[in-house]
Amino acid sequence: MTQPVRNTAPSPLPPMPFNIAQAKTVTLENGLKIVMFADKRLPLVSYRLAFLAGDANEPTDKIGVTSAVAAMMTEGTDNYSSRELAEKIERLGAAVSAATTEDFFIVAGSSLSMYASDVLSLIAEVIFRPTFPEDELDLYKRNAIENLKFQRSQPNFLAGEQVAKAVYGEHPYSIVSPSPSDIENLNRESLRDFHQKLFIPNNAILVVVGDIEENEFLDQARDLFGGWNRGLTPSVKFSEPPRREKRETIIVDRPGSAQANIVLANIAFSRNNPDFFAATVMNQILGAGASSRVFMNLREEKGYTYGAYTRLDPKRLAGDFEATTEVRTAVTGDSLREFFYELNRIRDEKASDDELADAKNFLTGVFPIRAETQEGLTNLIVNQQLYGLPSDYLQTYRDNIEKITADDVVRVANKYVQPDDITIVIVGDAGEILPQVREYADSIRIIDTEGHPLDMASFEQQADEPSVDASGTWELSLDFQGQKVPVSLELQHDDGKLTGKIETVIGTGVIENGSIRGKKLTAAAITEIQGQSVEFSISGTIDADSIEGTLSAPIIPDSLAFEGKRVS
Amino acid sequence: MSQTFNLPPLELEEYSLENGLRVVLNRDDSVPVVAVAVYYDVGSRNEREGRTGFAHLFEHMMFQGSENVKKAEHFQYIMKAGGTMNGTTSSERTNYFETLPASQLPLALWLESDRMRSLAVTQENLDNQREAVKEEKRLRYDNQPYGQIFDLINEMIYKNFANSHSTIGSMEHLDDATVEDVQEFFRIYYAPNNAVLTISGSFEPETAKQLVETYFGDIPNQTKPASIDVAEPGEVAENYREWEDPLAPFPAFLVGWKIPKRRSSEFYALYLGGKLLYDGDSSRLYQKLVKGEESVIQLFGFTDERRGPSSIFVGAIPKPDKDLSRIRDVIMKEIADIATNGPTADEMQKLHNQLINDSVRMRQSSMSRAQQIAEFALYDGDPTLINSELEDLLNVTPDQIRGAVNKFLNTENRSLLDVRPAGKG
Repeated sequence: MTQPVRNTAPSPLPPMPFNIAQAKTVTLENGLKIVMFADKRLPLVSYRLAFLAGDANEPTDKIGVTSAVAAMMTEGTDNYSSRELAEKIERLGAAVSAATTEDFFIVAGSSLSMYASDVLSLIAEVIFRPTFPEDELDLYKRNAIENLKFQRSQPNFLAGEQVAKAVYGEHPYSIVSPSPSDIENLNRESLRDFHQKLFIPNNAILVVVGDIEENEFLDQARDLFGGWNRGLTPSVKFSEPPRREKRETIIVDRPGSAQANIVLANIAFSRNNPDFFAATVMNQILGAGASSRVFMNLREEKGYTYGAYTRLDPKRLAGDFEATTEVRTAVTGDSLREFFYELNRIRDEKASDDELADAKNFLTGVFPIRAETQEGLTNLIVNQQLYGLPSDYLQTYRDNIEKITADDVVRVANKYVQPDDITIVIVGDAGEILPQVREYADSIRIIDTEGHPLDMASFEQQADEPSVDASGTWELSLDFQGQKVPVSLELQHDDGKLTGKIETVIGTGVIENGSIRGKKLTAAAITEIQGQSVEFSISGTIDADSIEGTLSAPIIPDSLAFEGKRVS
Repeated sequence: MSQTFNLPPLELEEYSLENGLRVVLNRDDSVPVVAVAVYYDVGSRNEREGRTGFAHLFEHMMFQGSENVKKAEHFQYIMKAGGTMNGTTSSERTNYFETLPASQLPLALWLESDRMRSLAVTQENLDNQREAVKEEKRLRYDNQPYGQIFDLINEMIYKNFANSHSTIGSMEHLDDATVEDVQEFFRIYYAPNNAVLTISGSFEPETAKQLVETYFGDIPNQTKPASIDVAEPGEVAENYREWEDPLAPFPAFLVGWKIPKRRSSEFYALYLGGKLLYDGDSSRLYQKLVKGEESVIQLFGFTDERRGPSSIFVGAIPKPDKDLSRIRDVIMKEIADIATNGPTADEMQKLHNQLINDSVRMRQSSMSRAQQIAEFALYDGDPTLINSELEDLLNVTPDQIRGAVNKFLNTENRSLLDVRPAGKG
């Protein structure tokens, strides 16, 4: 045997083909499309009964009804109570559930193939005979309202809400969630009425993947679903998403936030667009992963954040491109600068051969891993069907990725990444953020977390106040779970530039880019842990020789309060 | 009862290299994907007093670079090849694993062998990984509501130090560790003869064997580590403790019992008895507490499976102003009912179908196969147990479940941890 060459990574073996058979399709007289895919690897079966209507199809006075119907489907039918349904399903070792997206309503079932027909009968039971019991609906509404309250406390949710409004305008994709009053207004009648209109065979696809006998399955499917009456398919007449012609900025003021959640978004394309493959490769190079450009720049080189990404979110009728990160407030402007640098670079310069190859290797490599389990394979097939993708979509996916060239990447970047017209949404402390975003924005609006406009002037004043001098040594006392922990802060303040160090029990952090605006101090201390820089954000208010404020880090769920004095 | 069910056995080939590395190959060509798992026979159970947290610290060290793979490159190599990877530490073992396109098997073996052969155990890496572990402890334990309750209850259940101390360990002990300590730990526990390598998925066995020999064959073996004593008396160490949790928004409680080791017939019976109590929407306690009384926000339970004495837990977060002792009475009443009357026929049918279903689904992913095979090879010296364990579980009788629940759960010999919110709120 030859001596191993260990100093470089070995070359891969010859690639192995990944052959996915084509699905078979049958359409019943009532319009129900049936898609069958034999997967004989193991004795399992997976079903999806999907309706081509989702949250986006809700009338504006019934927002939230779709997801309520989905949650309530397994909570009682004409023949079984909620408990009896749970027992019947679990006694088979099976699972049956329903969920919604903007575009679809999907009932999913899975089990051992020996129970394939029992599970299909249970799916028919919850589809045709749900009763939406009053007490179960009450419990659902209470939990949903509680959950909404929690969501509004999360900066990502607030950012997503504004991004959807900005990108989609009057299009229903602009609504990311029902309001508490929408949920309050739900009742059995609206659920029943919605159920009757939505659940029609001529707007549905039944997908089966697994170890089944096709004829037996088809006989049962005809028996259960053949007598189902056609209905009117929901009309699809939505407003076009707006075209933006300048860089608008929306700041959601969340006073005291240690971090700024930044999202840049512009309208891009819908899921069946033929540019999908080129755009996916482009996005992989630009920001989809932890070895993509924006991550390497904002996190690895600059240390602004734990993560920075870009993503494409193509839905059935439209889609958007987004760049997202959460950074300490003091580097909000710097982060925008680096984002725009990368968004322009992907449009202006060809990607290197290595970058292109890494992106394609990743995308073609993960594809078969996704198809290893039957659930994964089923999801691939269901998406191909629901989005109306070509029938050989899965078979040709890897070839289509391989075909993409560096020129394709530049072309789609220029088409779908729009740095000059992109909308900037930032959730955080508006007073700190405002002066940092001016040079990047054509217009700026500030709103509160409920979406109400705020007066810009009050934030301008804050920004223009003369700055106090923060230089010196400060002894702080940090409140850590009721314990007082000593922290020492050494600051040099020259020409508006704040540098220094912080000493805590866990080590010393270096402050390089702090700032003082008026009496407000923001700074970040960076320590090296596990080869990664970990950042503590410090924000405080100085009053002569006293300071109070908070210390936070991405790893601490709540920021920690401190107070202290200047000692020299 | 359930229909008869025959699951075809997994194809397994087991052999050892001259240096003692145990290798198990599981070929399955259904998808062009390959999973590699390396299991080292070292967990927190191997740690001495005064040196807790070492096994886990090491898991971090293994991503800090080796002779030919620089710091953080391991992850980049896997990512660029379209793969996924991780490592974890438990009381029983430390494992490392990756899933890749089948053509990248050489990469996985090169990466795993380079760190087994030549890990960079330097002062700098040790210092920054110590800090990383401290950070992780703060993040995952100290700063999470209810984050410390499982470590606390293990101290209440077990009397033997090898079993009772936490995997995350003591930060003071990590501070005391010298580079020499860590190098010695690596030499003993990360030797090829203290590990199992499993490859599962699509590959040519001859190619795989040759690659394994090429990359691992000349890593020197070491003296086998001394065996450890994990024996326990039957009684729990402590019956009751109250814990003031500064981050918990609600009161909660956790009950734990000490039970026989994994793969014993009593362990199997209790695993199944536990599922009847807390697993799924139709389970006894979910229907009584989450639905019926609506007294509980969250209900959970599980078994902690170990090579020595093991444990089983039931816990709940009650809704505000609900009486905790009443909820515990409901739990103990259900346990007493199983202890007296045993499971119903419907429940046995549910268990059988769920066991078969779980067992079939586990086989779908090359990574879950590789992990289970490695466990059987490492703990039991017999990877083929993956083909017979389902049968062992299906053979458990209702009366065995009744008997084991009566003997081990329907008793005062248990540990109760009461969690009280002590926060700002």
